[in-house]
Amino acid sequence: MTAVIRSELLKVRTTAVPWVLAGVAVLINGLLILVIFLSKDYGGTGDDVPHTTQQLRNLLGSGFSGYILALLLGVLMITIEFRHKTVTTSFLVTPRRQVFVAGKLITAAVLGALLGVFMLVVALVGGGITLSARGGSFSALAHQIPAVAPGFILVFALFSILGVGIGSILTNQVAAIIVSLGWFIILEGILTSLVHAAYKWVPTGAADAASNLTRNQGNGIHLALFSWWEGALLMLGYGLFFAVIGSALLTTRDIT
Amino acid sequence: MTSAIEVRGLGKDFGHIRAVDDLSFEVAEGRVTGFLGPNGSGKTTTLRMLLGLVSITSGTATFGGKRYADLDHPVRHVGAALEATSFHPSRRAEDHLKTVALASRIPMTRIDETLELVGLTDVARRRVGKFSLGMRQRLQLATALLGDPEILILDEPANGLDPQGIQWLRQFIRGQAAAGHAVLVSSHLLSEMEETVDDVVIISQGKLVLQTTLADMAAQAGTGTGMRIRTPEIHRLAEVLNAVPVGWHQVAPDTLVIDGATPEWFGPFAAQHQIVLYELVNERGSLEDVFLRLTHGFDASHPMAADSGQSAPFLMPGDQS
Repeated sequence: MTAVIRSELLKVRTTAVPWVLAGVAVLINGLLILVIFLSKDYGGTGDDVPHTTQQLRNLLGSGFSGYILALLLGVLMITIEFRHKTVTTSFLVTPRRQVFVAGKLITAAVLGALLGVFMLVVALVGGGITLSARGGSFSALAHQIPAVAPGFILVFALFSILGVGIGSILTNQVAAIIVSLGWFIILEGILTSLVHAAYKWVPTGAADAASNLTRNQGNGIHLALFSWWEGALLMLGYGLFFAVIGSALLTTRDIT
Repeated sequence: MTSAIEVRGLGKDFGHIRAVDDLSFEVAEGRVTGFLGPNGSGKTTTLRMLLGLVSITSGTATFGGKRYADLDHPVRHVGAALEATSFHPSRRAEDHLKTVALASRIPMTRIDETLELVGLTDVARRRVGKFSLGMRQRLQLATALLGDPEILILDEPANGLDPQGIQWLRQFIRGQAAAGHAVLVSSHLLSEMEETVDDVVIISQGKLVLQTTLADMAAQAGTGTGMRIRTPEIHRLAEVLNAVPVGWHQVAPDTLVIDGATPEWFGPFAAQHQIVLYELVNERGSLEDVFLRLTHGFDASHPMAADSGQSAPFLMPGDQS
């Protein structure tokens, strides 16, 4: 399996995917940091900057919604093989398709976690510099790393696993991306605004729980969440459930 | 002689369509087996079933008794070059090979070796998206060879190669067989393979038509020997030929072919009847003729199939003219 994973890591590294994702990650996180400093809490007046524990954690975890990029990473890792027909070679090398999917899952978890680390670094550097420039404390921000990083990185890894699961079922790249984004950007929001109790069960709610970060729920509605490990298990469950279905579908799939 | 590949009663249904039907054949070690059939006859489907890419409806396909998926690191035993499109365009040639080498624990030194073998050393660092069809075909071969496999499966490897490339491919394939490897190579053109293969497996409409050695097939082709005659007096020649027990058919307005005739017989015969000749050629039936005879009528896309009923404007044996 380590051989398959090393091969998978090289496959990702030799496409534009990691560079594009990293670029988008910097862009998104930069905007989110800007939003925090321009928000009415701090008034843009310079006399107040994030300083409470919660404010600092929110700043450090500002790139949290970048987990969508981790999801896309997982989706792309599998659909790119079908798009460019490299799956033929992959299946010749790894004829057992469950092994193929398992290799993708593990590699995606590693790369998703790395993307999480990257976004934390971006938030620490970008947020920290802005903070110091406005008279805040960089080291106070850095002190929140142990509290924020584990859950943050875990969620990114879990979303990449989920992405591979989705991609293993919907091998058409465009379809997989539309379904993924459609769910997380539109459908999930509609569903949970209608049925608040559903929030803790959907992937975003499970991810919120797993991250152990209290997110601003701007609408003032307090949504119940699972404990962090329950949320993590639920997220992992979604990813593996889809991956098992996907593997079964791939096993019967003719590659012509 | 041991068989490297054994196919037993192989069948494949795509919905209600039987693409491959009860196909059995063997591929021997140290020999090149041509897998021949018209386009759409089921060659590619069969090869993909051997390699576990397409599921098998019935029968078995094994390599030394094992299914492809049961081989330990299969690409180190069976090298396959299937199509010229399966590369990520932004991946460099050597990185493509590296992904295969890493997953199958093949020493990295093999990458340079195989690139050199197929003549791609100079473009090892170039992205595959910039490759020509012929270069992709070579990279596909390099991928197949990477694990130094004892069995090679090549699907239409000559497609996209220039004449020098095809010449190189022939020598390469012969070299593989000489090294004791088994090679199964598909083609829809026998002429392309005539100088390369030892054995032939011919299929048509998913069914086995013939498995034999090329030598046997050449012997069969020999039975089609005849004389091609060009003459300004074709009607008179037809008349006198009808009076003797030989078969003949017209191939052009002024040309006909006499089956089984020899110059020793036809020369005096023409002199006796005082027929003027422009051309007199000893003609051997080609392997391609045998191949077409065996497979044609099944392949609607082949021009020969459309031509088969088209002898109307020509004289036929027995015509009174």
